[in-house]
Amino acid sequence: MKLANAEADYSQQNYNINLAIDGKVDQSGWAVDGHAKIENRRAVFTFAEPITSESGLTFKVRMLHRLGLSHQIARFRLSLHESDSPPLSMSVAAILARPKEKRSPADIGQLHEALLQRFGPEDAKVAFAKLRDLERQRVKAMAAVPATMVMREMASPRKTHVLFRGEYDKPGEEVQAGTPQTLPPIPEGLAGNRLGLAKWLVMPNQPLTARVTVNRFWQQLFGTGIVKTVEDFGSQGEWPSHPKLLDWLAVDFVESGWDVKRLLKQIVMSSTYRQSSKLTPKKLEADPENRLLARGPRLRLDAEVIRDSALFASGLLNQQVGGPSVFPYHPVGLWQEINNRPGYSRTYQQDSGEKLFRRSLYTFWKRTVPPPSMSAFDAPGREYCQVRRSRTNTPLQALVMLHDPQFVEAARHVAERILREGGETQKQRIEYGFLLCHARQPSELEFSVLKDVVETRLAQYTGDRDAANKLLSVGDSPIDDSHAVPELAAWTAASRVLLNLSEFVTKP
Amino acid sequence: MNPADEAGLQVNRRHFFSSGASGVGAIALSSLMNPQRLQAGTSLAAENGPGYSPGHPGKPHFPGKAKRVIYLCQSGAPSQIDTFDYKPSLEKLNGQELPDSIRGGQRLTGMTSRQSSFPAAKSFLPFRQHGKSGQWISDLLPHHHAIADEICIIKSMYTEAINHDPAITFFQTGHQQPGRPSLGAWASYGLGSESENLPAFVVLLDKNTDPQAQPLYARLWGSAFLPSNHQGVKLRSSGDPVLYLNDPTGADRNDRRQLLDRITKLNELRKADVGDPEIDTRVAAYEMAYRMQMSVPDLTDISDETEETMELYGPDASVPGTHAANCLLARRLAERGVRFIQIYHRGWDHHGGLPTRHPKIAKEVDQGSAALVMDLKRRGLLEDTLIIWGGEFGRTVYRQGGNETNYGRDHHPRCFSIWLAGGGVKGGISYGETDEWSYNILDRDRYGVHVHDLNATILHLLGFDHRKLSYRFQGLDFRLTGVEDHKPVADILA
Repeated sequence: MKLANAEADYSQQNYNINLAIDGKVDQSGWAVDGHAKIENRRAVFTFAEPITSESGLTFKVRMLHRLGLSHQIARFRLSLHESDSPPLSMSVAAILARPKEKRSPADIGQLHEALLQRFGPEDAKVAFAKLRDLERQRVKAMAAVPATMVMREMASPRKTHVLFRGEYDKPGEEVQAGTPQTLPPIPEGLAGNRLGLAKWLVMPNQPLTARVTVNRFWQQLFGTGIVKTVEDFGSQGEWPSHPKLLDWLAVDFVESGWDVKRLLKQIVMSSTYRQSSKLTPKKLEADPENRLLARGPRLRLDAEVIRDSALFASGLLNQQVGGPSVFPYHPVGLWQEINNRPGYSRTYQQDSGEKLFRRSLYTFWKRTVPPPSMSAFDAPGREYCQVRRSRTNTPLQALVMLHDPQFVEAARHVAERILREGGETQKQRIEYGFLLCHARQPSELEFSVLKDVVETRLAQYTGDRDAANKLLSVGDSPIDDSHAVPELAAWTAASRVLLNLSEFVTKP
Repeated sequence: MNPADEAGLQVNRRHFFSSGASGVGAIALSSLMNPQRLQAGTSLAAENGPGYSPGHPGKPHFPGKAKRVIYLCQSGAPSQIDTFDYKPSLEKLNGQELPDSIRGGQRLTGMTSRQSSFPAAKSFLPFRQHGKSGQWISDLLPHHHAIADEICIIKSMYTEAINHDPAITFFQTGHQQPGRPSLGAWASYGLGSESENLPAFVVLLDKNTDPQAQPLYARLWGSAFLPSNHQGVKLRSSGDPVLYLNDPTGADRNDRRQLLDRITKLNELRKADVGDPEIDTRVAAYEMAYRMQMSVPDLTDISDETEETMELYGPDASVPGTHAANCLLARRLAERGVRFIQIYHRGWDHHGGLPTRHPKIAKEVDQGSAALVMDLKRRGLLEDTLIIWGGEFGRTVYRQGGNETNYGRDHHPRCFSIWLAGGGVKGGISYGETDEWSYNILDRDRYGVHVHDLNATILHLLGFDHRKLSYRFQGLDFRLTGVEDHKPVADILA
């Protein structure tokens, strides 16, 4: 006997009455919070086809109760009802049972719909179905737009007090929003709220915002800000090395309409930035941190830049902009290692395909377990605002560059590019590899080292295809099989050398 | 002021810090001044001898009695009443309501604040006296009986936080909010590394067996605003023992050496051209990575341990990831010059079923913790190794839920017990006392040990004045022990 429809006066969350007739006897069913709410419940089932018989019928009902001690049924009753038309739905029946004046507009809408479905003309039913369909489409379209948090000022701002020793139940003096005394006050006419603060930040006589901003871009490019303590322009901060330069850049930045691209271009095209960064013991002794800018910047790149550079050199980088965070390669077991409480923890679900190669900016960040390859290169934990990173040089970084599948796989793709795009001769190819990874030509000595790598490895891998295959199989991306395995493996080994040079993680 | 600076190292301070892996920066600098030292492809370690360290060649403020620390963190908070805080008074108070005069208007956690009754529960196991010192220890930790004369039990610990996350963060970083360097990172920053093959700060996580255990957070061993070479490095019992240690291509040692030699050769060519001392540092870092690859398997291979040692640590010692196995590894790390070894054991947070669940977790840690003390002692290492054992707070004397025989205990920050051993701490003593309910510390102003006091004590034992070990960040000189007046616990120092 096929059941077409089921309706109940109550269903427990995730145990809707429809699950009672979904055919999956052992997996799902109806429940009514019976362990917590001991009440009478009713369900109505409708047959799919009318059943007629001359000689009378016997119905056999088999009901499975699959829960241990709670959710017991006390008094159980079945009844059968005959009708030519489908029964009124229980919710409609409930509305009808209510006095007219107690029906909400939504109730009345539901009654209209029921009336229409039962007695209405065909064209009205079609129009109604179309309306419903459009409503569904609208809901679906809205759901596709990501939600974002916004803040709105309260109509009357909440009172704020200084709390005695920070304790929330010990309020002291009431205070108003304002700026620290050493800074300009919020001008008359601006509200003491977030909009007022935003306008204050960019007002023409605001001494800090533009200076702080250009200083941070300066730090990004030169490694050290003109004010070294980029996070602190206060009395504890360091004095600028070039105060007039900072002022000029800040004013020019504001006058350009806060044009960041123009600012960056201006700095990188300056002769100061384009100086050679070569060091001599004398230079180093005279100015170890290059605060006087007598040479170009030379510094270890940031964690994100290193990974992105490897992806870029290999041609793997996915330059898509925007979208949710992604889950690139990550050592197995890290999340569970510090939290394996059922229901409170999960395992890292690594992405596949294109998502493995997105810019590091999009890497998912779990603050209690930051991505270890990023932490190794001084990416801050993001638990505290940190605008100046330490710049260390450690064995763990060597291990990441040597063994993180991301970099081994990138080396394979650098090799594929060398073979595909680098030309025919070994010389052209080595030069192309250097160009991809270091943006320059190798010296003769460098060339000979690389040549030696390629030749020894080619001989080795020709004799040991298993080793070659093992090297090539690191990473998720498919192997370009248009190249001989030993050859691709030999160039992959050479590319690993290129990616592991100090120069690869250093600017310039 | 940085301790190394105070010790008057002959290095330009600016370069010292700018080079990040400061110690190496210094060495690289000296190499630059004597360029012949780095030629001929010899490794920096060979050049610099066994004292060579890629960490901070820090110097303490004064000679410390402890050279290294092993911290056995009991995450979730063991009950002081059922372990070390012997309270014969509770025999008669058992089942009685905690008086308001004792509770003193203290705010309770959301887990028990709606309870109408707060009946006291005595220790569910008997206490006995052990050793020459006659220290009272509960039968919950039978292997601890043998180390009664070695340990200093502090019964007057107290903290400011009442929930796990802020409380353990407070213990391990000196601040309830995330974002401060961990104790181990401070030690690494202050002391530098003794090892040329291993990091200065190593973290071991015992495998958790309690389904309701509190999580851990990477910040507990993080370096925050200290240079990241001071962050704790996990030594793992499954997967890569150190992250990224194993070559996924399966290359053998010769292959790896060959790869490294080529990298070094090219780096040296570049160095000759651009003169950047950081290149030497990177070469040294790759060399140390290579040595780690060889030394870690040696470290974790315990087949050279005697039968007697294995018996001391118990059957768990041969099961990787157990507390006993990690304690054994901690000893091996200590022998190899690792400065700070942090072990975390989770699962002590028993809001229900404590009399059945506490014994299970206690059994997991008891033998390993005790064996570590005895093992270090017989090897002469206990003298200069400080061991710390304890949780992030205590547990309430009153029952949470349940009945007389099966109940939980809620969080209790006002008093709890931890123990210290070795490294310049008096053994066989107890410090501080609690009231007859184990609810408040008696004469807290005199005998109370705040978390900052404990951390000040640890730093003191390592040779630092906690007020002077600082790091400037965002305009402030941060230190582990905050800005208020705290001091080492002088009475427990040997």
